[in-house]
Amino acid sequence: MNSRLAEFFQLAVRQLFRRKFRVILTIAGIAIGVAALVGTVALGEGIRTQAVDAIRTQSDLTLIEALPGAQGNILQLVTPTRAAAAGALPGVKASAPVVRGTFATRGQTYVQVVGVPADGLEDVLHPTYLRGSGFLSGSNEVVLGAALGEKLQRYEGVRIGDPLILIRRSYDAQGRPFDEETTVIPVGVMEERGDAFDQVLLMDLDLAIGLGEGESGYSGLLIRAEGPDRVFSVAEGVRGIGLSPRGSFEQIEAVNRMMDMVVIFLGIFAGLSLLVGGLMIASTMITSVYERTREIGIAMAVGASEGDVMEMILAECAVLGFIGGMAGDLLGVLFATVLNALGGPFLASRFGDAFAGLLDTEIALVTWPLLTAGLLLAVGLSLLAGLYPAWKASRLNPVEAIRSGR
Amino acid sequence: MSIPLLETRALSRHYPGGVRALDEVDLRIGKGEFVAIVGRSGSGKSTFLNIVGGLDAPSGGSVSIHGRMLDYSDRRALIAFRRQMVGFVFQQFNLIPSLTASENVEYPLLFNYRPPAERQEKARQLLAMVGLGDRASHYPGQLSGGEQQRVAIARALVADSPLILADEPTGNLDSQTSEGIFSLLQRLNRERQVTLLVVTHERELASYADRTVEMRDGRVVA
Ligand SMILES: Nc1ncnc2c1ncn2[C@@H]1O[C@H](COP(=O)(O)OP(=O)(O)O)[C@@H](O)[C@H]1O
Ligand SMILES: [Mg+2]
Repeated sequence: MNSRLAEFFQLAVRQLFRRKFRVILTIAGIAIGVAALVGTVALGEGIRTQAVDAIRTQSDLTLIEALPGAQGNILQLVTPTRAAAAGALPGVKASAPVVRGTFATRGQTYVQVVGVPADGLEDVLHPTYLRGSGFLSGSNEVVLGAALGEKLQRYEGVRIGDPLILIRRSYDAQGRPFDEETTVIPVGVMEERGDAFDQVLLMDLDLAIGLGEGESGYSGLLIRAEGPDRVFSVAEGVRGIGLSPRGSFEQIEAVNRMMDMVVIFLGIFAGLSLLVGGLMIASTMITSVYERTREIGIAMAVGASEGDVMEMILAECAVLGFIGGMAGDLLGVLFATVLNALGGPFLASRFGDAFAGLLDTEIALVTWPLLTAGLLLAVGLSLLAGLYPAWKASRLNPVEAIRSGR
Repeated sequence: MSIPLLETRALSRHYPGGVRALDEVDLRIGKGEFVAIVGRSGSGKSTFLNIVGGLDAPSGGSVSIHGRMLDYSDRRALIAFRRQMVGFVFQQFNLIPSLTASENVEYPLLFNYRPPAERQEKARQLLAMVGLGDRASHYPGQLSGGEQQRVAIARALVADSPLILADEPTGNLDSQTSEGIFSLLQRLNRERQVTLLVVTHERELASYADRTVEMRDGRVVA
């Protein structure tokens, strides 16, 4: 049976060779469709990979903050139990609870305060210091984010080692506001991180709680994932506990969502050209069946069943689809290669240094699964396009077919 | 006569509009017989051959091969019948132009699930027998009409079918080539004991046969 199918394929190739020009046009139709599909998806995937890589290198991807989440209408606070559960998730390297509050300086600068255990600061945030160092546990020492440190120094002359007065506004039982003042000592300014920690003042968790923050549980839980590949599963685990994970991994998720849309959208257009290729196959095969009416009748007279006739026609379609798919994959790879060779330098020269990174990176990313998909799609579509002609051929009346002049 | 190879009883074929292409034909053909069917154009000869060969179905009556009635409503049985029981030779030769002479001879065996080596060997033997051993790799377009018809005869024999049906096999050939084809058919009949049912409208050619059946207006008249 299989060897017979193989022979049908051999026959198919020879049948196709008889109509070289028409067959080449049809194959070109399929190939262009496949190439368009492979090209657009490769471009989309390339851009996606670029963007994700950029996010990875430019941000602290493995840092996640678990915030209170909502399940239905119920707020899920970051209780010590949940914090412990989140800290024990697989893929979590370290975690530290935080409380947050808003203070002001005497110079009317608003300061976001984050209270975090001293060892948690080191284990989870991995801070590097522009000046000074981290705070000691149980002290009133604080660490400033890069942007905040710069701002306080420029406008209020705050320097490391100098006391800094923080004002916290509270309300009494009658709803009248009153201010409490606390003195802290900035002992370090962190290097720029490119995230929200550039804007905050970090202090010991106990100090922050002593100042009245965190009365309704922790504000959040900082989590350090073991590696970039674990971030998404940790985030999922955090969601499972009922908390809401935040971090630069969300940017990757956003990029992926956006690129999914872009790729699907472009893919639909590329798919339309593939559809045209399929219609060409259908048309070629209908013509071919018509022209070979007599031959099909002869095959039936010498013993071909309806199934045999269908298999023979479909084998031709499969060969058309296979060659078209291979050619299309080749064209797609060519397109990607040209784009990668010329596109990067072109963009770099047009848009300057911002795109210099593109010089030696791949804008279009061709993968084996993509090429395989292109090929399978071409063959599948060709078989689909051949169903009607094959069915028509199998229904021919042998007597009339043989008598026909064709 | 013992059980005939082929027996038709009241075999009829009507076309819409009242045409009786076949009208209650009773015919018995013994194993190994060489029968010529003659008759004017339109007398029902092709219709008879097509029905006996399982390409067309009768409107009434029956066809039996080896005493077993052919069931025209059973598609599978009909296909098996075409594969194993009959070999066709047509007026137009009807070779597949994209296949070589040898591949054309093998072609029916492709649908009989025979392995390629066996098929090639069979085709080689048969081509030698019809005198075209040196033309195996030629395409139909490279062969003369008579040569093409010899290839077609080899093709009709390849499945070892007991019954060969030939519909005006020399209708497109000159008289000398026609003689050659009929003497080949006669030789095959004698050497291989194949049963031959051959339509021709030339009386001289019919003399190669053991027996001549004449048809007129869908009936057997002699
Ligand atoms: N498909 C058909 N539809 C209607 N009439 C047909 C058809 N095929 C054959 N006939 C008629 O049947 C009769 C016998 O035809 P045929 O068997 O081809 O004769 P022969 O082969 O002896 O010349 C003729 O009258 C012919 O016109
Ligand atoms: Mg006729």
